[in-house]
Amino acid sequence: MVYYLKRMDWWLLAALLALVVLGVLFVYSASYRGEGIPVGTDYQKQILWAVLGIGVFLIVALIDYHWLGKCSWLLYAGALVLLVLVLVIGETRSGATRWISLPGFDIQPSELAKLGTLLALARFLSLTATDPRRLYVVALAGVISFVPFLLIFVEPDLGTAAVLVPLTACLLFVAGVPMRILCFLVVLGLLALPLGYQVLDDYQQDRIEVFLNPDSDPLRDGWTRRQSQIAVGSGGLTGKGYLSGTQNVLGFLPRSVAPNDFIYSVIAEETGFVGAALVLALYAAVLLCAFRAALVSRDKLGRFLSVGVATIIFSHVFVNIAMTIGLMPITGLPLPLVSYGGSFMVVTMCGLGIVQSVYVRRARA
Amino acid sequence: MRGSRREKVASDVVRARVLLGLMLLAFGVLAVSLYNVQVSSTSKYETALDRQSMRRIRMPGMRGQILDRNGGVFADNRPSYNVAIFLEELRLVDIKISETLETLRPIVGYPASAGEEEVVDHVHKLKPLPLMAWRDLDEAALARFAEQCSMIPGADIQVEAVREYPQGALASHVIGYVGRSNMVHDVRRPFHYYADEMVGKSGIEKQFDGVLRGRAGGRLMQVDVEGFHREDIAVDPPEPGSDVQLAIDIKIQEYVEEELQDTVGSAVIVDPRNGDILAMASAPSFDPNMIVPYITTESWNSIIENPDHPLLNRAIQGSYTPGSIVKPIVALAGLENGKLDPEYIVHCPGHFMLGSQKFGCWLTYGHGDMDLSGAIQNSCNVYFFTAGLSMGREYIVHMSHAVGLGRRTGIGIGGERAGLVPDAAWKRERYGESWWDGDTCNLSIGQGPITVTPLQMALMTAAIANGGTLYRPRLVQGVRAPGGEMFQELPVTVENRLAWSQSSLDVIRKAMFKTVMSPRGTGRNAAVPGVEIAGKTGTAEFGPKALGKKRGWMIAFAPFDEPRYAVAMVLDHAATGGGADVGPRLRRIFGKIFQVEVSESAPGVGHG
Repeated sequence: MVYYLKRMDWWLLAALLALVVLGVLFVYSASYRGEGIPVGTDYQKQILWAVLGIGVFLIVALIDYHWLGKCSWLLYAGALVLLVLVLVIGETRSGATRWISLPGFDIQPSELAKLGTLLALARFLSLTATDPRRLYVVALAGVISFVPFLLIFVEPDLGTAAVLVPLTACLLFVAGVPMRILCFLVVLGLLALPLGYQVLDDYQQDRIEVFLNPDSDPLRDGWTRRQSQIAVGSGGLTGKGYLSGTQNVLGFLPRSVAPNDFIYSVIAEETGFVGAALVLALYAAVLLCAFRAALVSRDKLGRFLSVGVATIIFSHVFVNIAMTIGLMPITGLPLPLVSYGGSFMVVTMCGLGIVQSVYVRRARA
Repeated sequence: MRGSRREKVASDVVRARVLLGLMLLAFGVLAVSLYNVQVSSTSKYETALDRQSMRRIRMPGMRGQILDRNGGVFADNRPSYNVAIFLEELRLVDIKISETLETLRPIVGYPASAGEEEVVDHVHKLKPLPLMAWRDLDEAALARFAEQCSMIPGADIQVEAVREYPQGALASHVIGYVGRSNMVHDVRRPFHYYADEMVGKSGIEKQFDGVLRGRAGGRLMQVDVEGFHREDIAVDPPEPGSDVQLAIDIKIQEYVEEELQDTVGSAVIVDPRNGDILAMASAPSFDPNMIVPYITTESWNSIIENPDHPLLNRAIQGSYTPGSIVKPIVALAGLENGKLDPEYIVHCPGHFMLGSQKFGCWLTYGHGDMDLSGAIQNSCNVYFFTAGLSMGREYIVHMSHAVGLGRRTGIGIGGERAGLVPDAAWKRERYGESWWDGDTCNLSIGQGPITVTPLQMALMTAAIANGGTLYRPRLVQGVRAPGGEMFQELPVTVENRLAWSQSSLDVIRKAMFKTVMSPRGTGRNAAVPGVEIAGKTGTAEFGPKALGKKRGWMIAFAPFDEPRYAVAMVLDHAATGGGADVGPRLRRIFGKIFQVEVSESAPGVGHG
């Protein structure tokens, strides 16, 4: 145990604890409406999830990731079953069937599917029999991620489904798939985009159009985007102070999205560029830790798992922040560890636990 | 084999490093974008934020007072206690407006003054402002509410200044009244909301609105996304308006209005020394307190449907045929131009033949031989037909214009009529006919198309009284800035100085003196023991001859040697004529002014 603690990546733990604490603080702030008005209980739930998440992180860190690798097919299959199940018995909210209601809380199978897919891909690519230079290997990897992609896509949850794309691409890249194949895939993907657009639901098309032409729809998604931009922009260098974000307190930033998808907007408004950049730096630290684990990993499985977790976190952070400051369309991707929400918190913690597990079991220097 | 394996591992590491580099680069892009949005364009987004969450509301200043020349109050402000409902507080406790109104109703004791429609309208258009559910609570309701309101969330008392006219109907035509201003909610205007603001709608209230109103202030407040008030950010307190002091003397105004109570007509008293309007009355009148702050439909209809038009300010808006009261001016026109000899005698047989046309004198059996003084005292028409024809219409028209007829006096309160002095050009244009001697005859006795306002007649009388100075009427003596001690006096303006010779004036003034003071003068009913009064009566026919409708006129000034009062009074429906109908009223007015006991029962007894 002492050995274990000695080898632990304390930087990773520190960074994720900082992010989780910031998350609780700003979920509270996002629910704050003014003096004397009762604050919602969201922040209390967030504390619960944070504690649960940290527990998951520590437990997973203890587990040998090789054992996870062995179970990966089972976990993958389980995730697929849940994805099918959600389409059958899932609860439909505002047009999307994403949640399975359990007593006390809801689970979002698509979040679990991210991990399941990662495990399966990492396991598959790290098999000694797998030669990444062969086209069929690439095709098989494609199938592994395409099945959950499709199931999530039809929920529909475009944002989460889309995260599987960079995850697969980055793993293939690190696994050593030749550049010509990767380039071919990228070209293929670009060609498929217009076709994909046709498949999108109206609201999804609307969101993209709103992004391309923000003034076209000022009261729907254009509204949120605009309000988020105003919140971030008016934050200035040092922000308006904790609990003093006008956009959030006055409700211009819709209360339904402020604690989750747009939590970064609240942080940026109240703490300014200084705070917003600090949060970005904390994520960079998390990425650095994950890649360090990948580089010092004693085997491919550990490397791929770490890179995969880093990619999932990176994708969420990049898309979420880019959306918050108006660089990308609204996709509904939460900010890892900070946004209000339980499933993704647990999944992220689990992923980071795997990274820790890889780091602890690194080759001796 | 080993070598290639090592290469592959190496390529894994390289690729992982490349990937990390790309990801950190992407974060770098985010950081730069973040900097651009947050630091480089802060002001742009702050402006956008203010635009959507800041509201400016205009708050009127307290209106200044309107005072009489001695400081008596004509128009003032009183506090009105309103029950205000704060929508943002109701929302906090999730109570509907209608529920609150229900709760409050038994406490106040009567239904809210804000109807359902007003409530809906308020929520849509004025959400950040409190809704005035009950306006102007009576004392009992205020006491009940004050006792219990602390239990009711979102309701409170708000005090509002309401215009009040302590003198009631007195001088109401001069003072005027205020009404809610219709400020349009125009996006280009600098304010989003306008607090109830009163604007002068007539009289001094309207004419001096800019002075009385003061400077409006403003309140900058923050609203939330639903438009509810959140907090006040800044307040620019409004400044009260200036006080306006009138030349009118409440006492004299009262004397005059008492004499017009039972009738339809008008009277104006001017100070001949400076043109100050000491009294200006029009009957019937109205009580502006009935109109401000609200007028009920019934009250409004009762005013509108009154055939005598109480809102009409006859003193300046009435067009009256003057009749004989212009005779002194006709005489002055003749005397000053050498066309009339005061000693010249005209025989009055009771009528005058102009060709085959017969013009009658009011005394059908005739006045006999008349000189100018006698003709004025007795108001002999035949004398003036003769005089008018011998001098010609030009001199009469010219002199009439010189004393201000046919033109607005410039008193400054709205709707003033100019009256009319007909001449050849006017007749040609109006009727396509040329002027003939019959028109001159009519003009000479103030009949025909000529019209005047009572104010013009008072000023003309003042000019005769003061020896030929025609003043512009001064209704407002001074203006006092808010908090100031002294009134800034407005200047006296001379409209025209007439170079009347003393001899002509003496003839006319003495004749007017005798008109009142001699026992046989037509104005003897106006005589007050111990006061030397000069005057002239007039009875003007109007409308179809068969109906025999008459206006009764009298002009007068006193004291004779150093005149301080010049008065003109007209009655719309005179039973007999100016001397009989107006004379006694002027006697009572002068009597009160000079504090002389007046005997009601012995009219017309001259002094001595």
